Amino acid sequence: MKSYSQQSGEIGEFSDLPFWKKANSVDLAYVTYGLLVVTLVIASYLLGAFKLLPHDPQDIDLELMMAPPLTPKHVLGTDFMGRDMLSRLVVGIQAYFLPGLLAIFIALFLGTILGVLAGYRGGKFDTVITYLTNLIDSFPRLVLILLVIAAFKPDIYVIMLVVGITNVPAVASLVKGKILFLKQKNFIEADIALGLPTGTIILKHILWHNCRSILIIQATLGMAEAILMETSLSYLGFGVQEPTPSWGNMVLAGSNYFMKGQFWPSTAPALAILFTILGFHLLGDGLNNILEGKRDK
Amino acid sequence: MKLTAIRPVGIVLVRELSLTMLLLLGVSALVFLILYLSPGDPFSVLLEGQSLSEEARSGIRQAMGIERSWYGQYFHWVSGMVRGDFGASVRTGLPVLSEVLRTGINTLILTLGSLLVTLLIAAPIAIRSAMRGMSKATWSFTILSYVISALPVFWLGYIVIYFFTHKLGLFPLAFGFATGAKKWLYLLLPIFVLGIGNGTISEVIRTLREEMGRVMEEDYIRTARAKGASVWKHAFKEGFLIPVTEIIAAKIPFILGGAVIVEQVFNWPGMGRMAWQAAQDRDYPVIMGIAIVAAVLVRLGSLFQSVVYVMVNPRASKE
Repeated sequence: MKSYSQQSGEIGEFSDLPFWKKANSVDLAYVTYGLLVVTLVIASYLLGAFKLLPHDPQDIDLELMMAPPLTPKHVLGTDFMGRDMLSRLVVGIQAYFLPGLLAIFIALFLGTILGVLAGYRGGKFDTVITYLTNLIDSFPRLVLILLVIAAFKPDIYVIMLVVGITNVPAVASLVKGKILFLKQKNFIEADIALGLPTGTIILKHILWHNCRSILIIQATLGMAEAILMETSLSYLGFGVQEPTPSWGNMVLAGSNYFMKGQFWPSTAPALAILFTILGFHLLGDGLNNILEGKRDK
Repeated sequence: MKLTAIRPVGIVLVRELSLTMLLLLGVSALVFLILYLSPGDPFSVLLEGQSLSEEARSGIRQAMGIERSWYGQYFHWVSGMVRGDFGASVRTGLPVLSEVLRTGINTLILTLGSLLVTLLIAAPIAIRSAMRGMSKATWSFTILSYVISALPVFWLGYIVIYFFTHKLGLFPLAFGFATGAKKWLYLLLPIFVLGIGNGTISEVIRTLREEMGRVMEEDYIRTARAKGASVWKHAFKEGFLIPVTEIIAAKIPFILGGAVIVEQVFNWPGMGRMAWQAAQDRDYPVIMGIAIVAAVLVRLGSLFQSVVYVMVNPRASKE
């Protein structure tokens, strides 16, 4: 059985410098861009939730179809029905934001529990958990989601439940790896010798002090995964349905015009997907290099 | 090969095969569980919109050979699969296994081809930056690989179709439209798109570079370099072969998932498109069959990886 242990420890030097002073400038650039994207996504989500938009995203204007970007009143142009592109892109975030948070929560919650059980208790727990994670990893994620869609209704929260569960193995393996690393350092043994209660050791010394950063990193990468899945599924027609905008179904709806040489209605949401996922990936990898000290020379 | 070289492989093969069997049993149980928990059963789809009496409904269920208890149903299904009978599609009535195998070949070509494309792009960049250090060129490739990994694969598909098919007319419009050599030419487009757009390139480059870089610092590489032997030849097994097979095994699920979308964009008659259709129609037997076949493919990938690992490093069989 492929044992699920990666070296997640190995924090280089325990120097007293704050992490942003030790960090590589490339990593800082990654993280800055990533934080910018996260801020934009959250701000846009709130704007969409409180309906503070330049236009109604459903407002059809047949006089002004396919307007290019930088048209007066429509900064990002309009789509094939004259609907304001910027407003639709902002509202499209609603399709994945809360469901994505659910997926992250499930992955982190279950992943941490399983990781702690496998790493701290080990033995039979470890065998069973390794089996379960291998089992989940046996399915291509999209195929598993299609199976669930066939069985239940194509509901985004059910889908994100599956996305969350399929992210559990990665989180569990990282937490377990970290605990095994700490055990090597006689760190936990010392805690036990001090007579600390198990709860304090696990919650405070292991999870809070040592696993915080890997959980943050996994949350970032999990959001990228959730966005990818939501947009792919609405592209495939299983997610949010027209006229409610989602970045995936906007790409699909614009595809007929794409082949006629009118690229914008598909390209605008595709670029939104590209820059957002890029932001979460760079944030995750940058934080990984900075907080976990994994920068290759 | 001497007997001593075959034995560790044999030991691992037996161990991994039994493990694969155990996992596939779990896979079948999970697939069954998901569908068992779903509201209604496969036949409610068939009977949708028809107002039949309860008696007629149970008659149809009986005729289609469905037992009442859950363990009866599960046993019936699994024993059927072992005999090669995956049931018949609710929509078309065709046997699932032969349909899945027919389309599965197309998906396998697409998947393996695009894995090759990914590796052909990632490996040179990774090896260069591991052996020579990061230069400006490798930096820009690394950044570019991040951008490419975030590309939505369906949009990349549109761009490629627009330029190569509509503008340049180099490729036929759809799979069935061309014959002979042109038909095979059409294969190249989706393979290329999935190879680039499956979202794993940046990760593959990073993993390969880290592994290669780690091996380059080993003592035996320094010795090889000192005596003027080929560094590449010495680093190949541990620094390249093992990580590459690990990546192949780990990325098969991702690429199979990506295949669902790429097959949709390119109208490719593969297993992913069939899965999409089955999910739309709630065609239970088909989607169950596809999930099982996909899981078998993933497991075979990891079996392949363990065998290669032991062949390179026979000590691993004693773990």
